[in-house]
Amino acid sequence: MKELIEYIAKTLASKPEEVKVTEVPGEEGQIILKLEVADEDKGRIIGKQGRVAQAMRVLLRVAAVKKDVRASLEIV
Amino acid sequence: MKVSASATVRSQHTNEEDTIETIEMDVEGEDSGLLIGRRGETLRALQFMVNLLVGRRVPGRVIIDVEGYRERRYASLRTLAIRVAERVAATGRSITLEPMPSNERRVIHMALADHPGVATESEGAGDDRKITVFPKRSNP
Repeated sequence: MKELIEYIAKTLASKPEEVKVTEVPGEEGQIILKLEVADEDKGRIIGKQGRVAQAMRVLLRVAAVKKDVRASLEIV
Repeated sequence: MKVSASATVRSQHTNEEDTIETIEMDVEGEDSGLLIGRRGETLRALQFMVNLLVGRRVPGRVIIDVEGYRERRYASLRTLAIRVAERVAATGRSITLEPMPSNERRVIHMALADHPGVATESEGAGDDRKITVFPKRSNP
């Protein structure tokens, strides 16, 4: 899951070296993925009307189902 | 994503200048249901991501399908279009369909383009854009 988000974010970012994904435990066994990017890449990662972030969340859900966990994505 | 599926190229087209290419890929495997998602939601996200990640580096378009889902969806949209058109033509009252992405609206517009009794139009913005099928006045 982490690799998936990292791959997408690094491909989209103009500064891939500043992309950082950390997994943090959330409530009830949920996994929260915190995605950090350079300030100037934020718009690119979120997308118009949040479309990129939305698509990342949908794909993350598939990866989470395969691992039999619940996961959410936070862009910080 | 650790899913078990494999992708094959279904077809590849080049235009007259031999530049813009359309590559159609079909994904198959035991996780295909997961990759389609509820009402094709995951397939849409996948297509969006592929366009975003690949689209810039490769000239042309990549169209992703999972187990022929897109084709099946298009076929059922055509059936829906014709059924709705018949009703509109018979009652003289317009019908507005549920919101659809642009590729699906295109299928409806095309299916009814030559229909003698109805015309179609898209209204609304973004994800809420939907088609209205309305009766054509028969007097020229």
